[in-house]
Amino acid sequence: MAVNIKITNVGRRFGQLKALTNVNLEVAAGEFIAFIGPSGCGKTTLLRCVADLETVSEGEIMIGGDAPQKVRKARKLGLISQRPAVLPWKRAVDDVRFTQEVTGRAGFSPDDILSDFGLAGHEKKRPHELSGGMLQRVNCASAIAHDPELLMMDEPFSALDEMKREEMGEWFAAELQKRPRTVLFVTHHIDEAVLLSDRIVVMSPSPGRIHAIVSVDAPRPRNREFRTSPAFVETTARLRHMLFNEMRSAA
Amino acid sequence: MRSADTINARVAFDSHRSRTMRRVWTTTLKIVLPIASIIGLWYFAIYASGLPSYVIPEPTAVLNSLIVNRALFFEHFVYTLQVALTGYVLANVIGIGLAILFVALPISRDAVMPAAISIRNVPYVIMVTVLALAMGDGFWTKVIIVTMAGFFPVLVNTYRGLKSVDPIILDRMRILDASLWNVFVRVRIPYSVPYMVAAQEITGSSSIVIAISVEWMISRSGLGYLINQSMMAYAGERVYAVALISAAFSFGAYSLIHFLGGRLNWAERKDR
Repeated sequence: MAVNIKITNVGRRFGQLKALTNVNLEVAAGEFIAFIGPSGCGKTTLLRCVADLETVSEGEIMIGGDAPQKVRKARKLGLISQRPAVLPWKRAVDDVRFTQEVTGRAGFSPDDILSDFGLAGHEKKRPHELSGGMLQRVNCASAIAHDPELLMMDEPFSALDEMKREEMGEWFAAELQKRPRTVLFVTHHIDEAVLLSDRIVVMSPSPGRIHAIVSVDAPRPRNREFRTSPAFVETTARLRHMLFNEMRSAA
Repeated sequence: MRSADTINARVAFDSHRSRTMRRVWTTTLKIVLPIASIIGLWYFAIYASGLPSYVIPEPTAVLNSLIVNRALFFEHFVYTLQVALTGYVLANVIGIGLAILFVALPISRDAVMPAAISIRNVPYVIMVTVLALAMGDGFWTKVIIVTMAGFFPVLVNTYRGLKSVDPIILDRMRILDASLWNVFVRVRIPYSVPYMVAAQEITGSSSIVIAISVEWMISRSGLGYLINQSMMAYAGERVYAVALISAAFSFGAYSLIHFLGGRLNWAERKDR
């Protein structure tokens, strides 16, 4: 069901610009990996290469032993974009169904997932009738409605307020508890990364590369109390040190 | 208490009725005033210019001609309608068809676009002459001219609309491995609808104007031919009658397109 990922010596150039260089990473099936780092560190580019939206300039990406294109064509991928990728004329529930119709995969029940995301009563609304945060939650529902084996998220909750952000994080944590899927999660939010991830890949810019990989050794389910536990505090402090001190001195 | 309620209800009813009356009154004024002012200006032009009645007939003469010659007008109107409508439909088929081809197969754009631009820029008097020499002055000659004059706005607007899809939606389609058919039918074409609607208003009115003009030049039937005929016979009131019919026709076509377009157009619907 869940797939493993093997990223070997991956580089990506845009003309003279080195967006990614020498990226090596192995992700176990069912693992939750967060990518964190300053703008321009190539985390979105890496995600797009795994999603077969871009091709690597060097190296190789294998998902469950197959090339990204093959996995994409098997409709095993889901990507939650940072900006809503919803159709402006579709009602929320129809947009969620649209994913299922296009892929031919049933996945989650559209009404259930929308109500799980706090959108009960808003199913029939069109994008212009929804707030930015609501729209982004429709976007999340639409992106995963076909229940993909490999789930990628590109700063999915950045448009949400703090409470909704936590609720959404908890939904994903609970869903993954029920049935593990491999997740690649790009974020700017240190707490969120620690709360959700098995490992956190810290990336640094120009050229985009992996700076360090931090494991989060804490049992699941991680509830809200986890945020005040020593393990949580220690890990976030470590990450802050990396992002604010090590990288600044390197630059 | 009860009587107060009754009074309140009465006041409400009265104010409701007076509001309705006011609305009827303003609507009536909106219709009557332009007509009255046009007729007024018309009479003023007659008396101020002192031109003969075959140049500027009285409104009553025009109205009389409309009634007396209604069978004749109707026959020629139907002919013009057929030319304009057939040309309009073909302009859309070709315009939308080419736009889809350009997006599906970008190289076709480089191949076809120069020719399309050239056709657009040939004065249509020349097209009429060449086509009349080649095909005679029949129905299809006129239809082709109408089509050639009308397809370009449809092509350009539809193409722009098909390309206006937010790239993030195309990423979504790619991630989901949506078929080319789904991308076109369920994403690109709906995105293009507001652009297509905008093009219809241009092509719709140009179809009527061009149809009448071509008939004026080469035809033996249609409203354009009727203008020509009436002019030769110094029947000014008939020329004006045809002008009224064409104006009503254009206005009707425009309103219909606008109404249908508004229903199809998701981008406009959301403003309501």
